[in-house]
Amino acid sequence: MRIIVDEARCEGYGFCAEAAPHLLELDDEGELTVLTEQVGQDERADAEAAVRVCPVAALKLAP
Amino acid sequence: MTSLAEGPALDLDLFSDAALTDPFPLYRRIRDTAPAVHLPRYGAWAMGRYADVRGALGDWESFSSARGIGLNDLANAATQGMIIATDPPEHDTLRNVLAARLSPKALRDLRADIERRADELVAPLVERGSFDAVADLARAFPIMIVLDLIGLPQDGRDKVLGWADAAFSASGPPGPRTDAAFPLLQDQLAYLSGIEPGALTPGSMGRAIYDAAAQGLIKQESCVPLMSAYVTAGLDTTINAISNAVYYFAEHPEQWDLVRQDPSLIPAALNEVLRIESPLQFFCRVATRDVELDGQTLAEGSRVMMLYASANRDERKWDDPERFDVRRNPVDHLAFGYGMHGCAGQGLARLEGHSVLAALARRVARFEVGTPRRRLNQLIRGLDALPTTVHAG
Repeated sequence: MRIIVDEARCEGYGFCAEAAPHLLELDDEGELTVLTEQVGQDERADAEAAVRVCPVAALKLAP
Repeated sequence: MTSLAEGPALDLDLFSDAALTDPFPLYRRIRDTAPAVHLPRYGAWAMGRYADVRGALGDWESFSSARGIGLNDLANAATQGMIIATDPPEHDTLRNVLAARLSPKALRDLRADIERRADELVAPLVERGSFDAVADLARAFPIMIVLDLIGLPQDGRDKVLGWADAAFSASGPPGPRTDAAFPLLQDQLAYLSGIEPGALTPGSMGRAIYDAAAQGLIKQESCVPLMSAYVTAGLDTTINAISNAVYYFAEHPEQWDLVRQDPSLIPAALNEVLRIESPLQFFCRVATRDVELDGQTLAEGSRVMMLYASANRDERKWDDPERFDVRRNPVDHLAFGYGMHGCAGQGLARLEGHSVLAALARRVARFEVGTPRRRLNQLIRGLDALPTTVHAG
């Protein structure tokens, strides 16, 4: 499972990185980086939480 | 195909004085009846459950904004081409102009200034001891911050707030309230059309709109609608959030104690104020196809009120939703909408709200409020006056 960022929609709120700091990082320039290529089963709940809190629906999970 | 009016219906009046004063029992009836309920008075449907509203807001292909977000044809025609009433690709072009100035990254350099100005506004009010939390605090702050950021000339600023209130109310159902508001929406657009771009402060958010048009990024005719988005959406929403915060903390002193003991709760506290008293009650979408909702079919062409304020008190989503609890941190509330049309100014609104709450938390031990006077608006819920006494400490 992967986290996909729609870069055109992401405006850098950073709530996802607060929800799952080990999976996502907002750098000083406001750019979001996905830290993990593959989300493991044990990280799935955190990944879902990160997707959920994006106010502009810029994140999704893909198999 | 299901006919437009087929399905669960309720003969509710959501816009009477009584309903606007306390809409929550009506919202509950809508939520408890069906995922989408037909309201024959308005020729529209209402969606009141959190999961359905959020799902629809996240699915612009099925729930379009381009046929207008209001409940009457005049307002829907007048707002055509405004960002709230567009779908991609038009929407994305306009959004980029706003986001360039309103994204958290773009706002970073404003933080210190906004925090300082919140402090300068709050300190003398606390010294005075008694004030109107609406006029003296909740209105004064966004008017100062937002109108400066847009770069509006001083001349005419005193009218902007009344126009913004009307610009929301004009999207209600046909009737006297809409008739009273609509001319003011036209006045707002006439005022904005009359501003020479050169009269906007250089470097301001307003000037950036005209610069984007000059560079060919947006059409010239998009400038006034974008200006309208700034001056409408940037005021009443934040104003009501701030006055509601004062009201709720006066009514729940133990919650204010929690915030003062741990100011890192301020963002969670603002989220909770926005959840329990969402300023924006609804915008509409129109179904572009037959949509299945939990066993119910919503027919193509149905106009649907997305009841954000109801979703934010949906028992299916929130544990004990009537309880005000700053530790809840309902970060996925729908007060700013959700998805593609999610409030473009929410970063600024949060910055303003956090700054005011922090300035109050540094100085105020207790709020005492008199009887609030409610401001009746068809789309925005909030107060018109809130007599407030604060005890410093």
